[in-house]
Amino acid sequence: MKASALAIARHLALVLVATILLLPVYWLIMSAFRPADDIFRYAGEFGLATLLPRRLTLENFHQIFAGTFPRALFNSLFVCTATVTLGVLVNSMAGFAFAVFDFPFRRALFIIVLLSFMMPFESIVIPLYTLVRTLHWTDTYAALILPEVAGGLIIFLFRQFFAGIPREIYEAARVDGASWWQIYWQMTLPLSGPTIATASLMMFIHQWDAFFWPLVATSSADLAVVQVAIARNMTLEQANWGALFASASTAVIVAAVPFFILQRSYVRVVAVQADK
Amino acid sequence: MHARRWIPYAFLAPAFIGLVIFRFTPICLALSGSFFGQSIRGASIFVGLKNYAELIGDPSFWSTVSTTLIFNLIINPFQVVCALALAMLVRRPTKLVDVFRAAFLLPMTVSIALTSILWSILLDPTLGPVNGFLRFAGLPPQPFFRSAGEALPTLILVATWKGAGYWMVFLLAGLLAIPKELDESASIDGANAWQRFFGVTLPLMRRPLAFVLVADTAANFLLFAPVYIVTNGGPNDATHLLMFEAYQSAFAFLNQGRSLAISTIILVIILAIALVELRLFRSDDGSAA
Repeated sequence: MKASALAIARHLALVLVATILLLPVYWLIMSAFRPADDIFRYAGEFGLATLLPRRLTLENFHQIFAGTFPRALFNSLFVCTATVTLGVLVNSMAGFAFAVFDFPFRRALFIIVLLSFMMPFESIVIPLYTLVRTLHWTDTYAALILPEVAGGLIIFLFRQFFAGIPREIYEAARVDGASWWQIYWQMTLPLSGPTIATASLMMFIHQWDAFFWPLVATSSADLAVVQVAIARNMTLEQANWGALFASASTAVIVAAVPFFILQRSYVRVVAVQADK
Repeated sequence: MHARRWIPYAFLAPAFIGLVIFRFTPICLALSGSFFGQSIRGASIFVGLKNYAELIGDPSFWSTVSTTLIFNLIINPFQVVCALALAMLVRRPTKLVDVFRAAFLLPMTVSIALTSILWSILLDPTLGPVNGFLRFAGLPPQPFFRSAGEALPTLILVATWKGAGYWMVFLLAGLLAIPKELDESASIDGANAWQRFFGVTLPLMRRPLAFVLVADTAANFLLFAPVYIVTNGGPNDATHLLMFEAYQSAFAFLNQGRSLAISTIILVIILAIALVELRLFRSDDGSAA
């Protein structure tokens, strides 16, 4: 009897929390499909019409895709794809070295990796701008991509996974005459699907989320990523709510697609790492 | 494992070149740049500790520091408690639990910039649906971000909306690592849910909780986007956090020396937090290095 009261309370809490977390996102996306005049018409007085659209239209999306938004979307996707591709390669190589070899300074170098993973990227944004300006890299894709490639967290993830592969496999391959590069590229990487997926998701979300660095590193509209473009539009043309809702919804949906495909493996890999 | 001497370093080189150029060089630049100022002609001149002395003598800097400290003293414990509550809710597998786990992670896909924009609209005093709902429920409408008294608490709630699910994953991992038998045997001994939580679960969660608290603190110390997008530090400097001050010094007042001095202070704080985190982490994982 008492146990079932507890179960009911838990389910009520689950529904309440899920509502608080989901409803704002639902309202954002649903409103993007409303005629611009309707977006706030039903917001001030709460009722069924606040949550269920009376009229539906794609007008807001037509409008943003005719403007500069596709360029921002391309910039974001290009920067994210490049970061993830380079990041998987570079960080998995480093993780491989830490997991497989014994070499001088291994411990010291690994502590540097852990420290870099515990200092969030945002902490160095302003001095990084000083560096990038000295290199004349402001307003380039390189400035958006390269600083985000090497990351302690991703090196650590790969290192943890690779360390679980029995070393005898490598010894056998060495006896057969395989080079270390061949072992890494043809044996180890193909085994690490879930870790690559989780690392890619983490790098994608982090780069997609980035706001502070793209804001200071690029000033030209041609290089604005989605986050910066939307924030600038919000202050510049505040009256155009339809465009704002449509572009914000598109940004949420694009990030949610890889997330929900990979979400289960993300939870599993993070859980296993934290458990070690 | 044995390999020719240079091979491990060749595998490490690309990542370490990246870390040295883009992480450690900026740290050195912040420190060295904080000792320089600009002459009237715009040339860079060595000023020693002048930038720091000016910060210490500047009451607006201290008000920024105290706002940042108050913000962190409230938001970090609050987020950890929320994340733990979420993790407890989806701990036991039921039919629906996978759906709820995914639902709790959804705000992770809403970037911090979009979270700021979305909530500034939702909480708008005249247009926003939240005040519409309050009126509907017979409650007085609130100014939220628009009043000096409510802006900081609102910022804390909005940042928690975005962050709680992210930290939940780490705590859920800790909860799932607790052997079920411990809970069951306590239950047989007659402990109720409350006693089991405080007697069994919480003591075993000390490490994951400490880790999340420290990592969360580092993240919240650097919060920038909502301040820049929504409040612009206001109203009345109520949300003027340290990172925003560093940004303004560099890009609004073009005072690079001051901005890099603040960056150095932020880096020292973050480094101290990271060292605490490293200790927790390494005692957790003896095989880490």
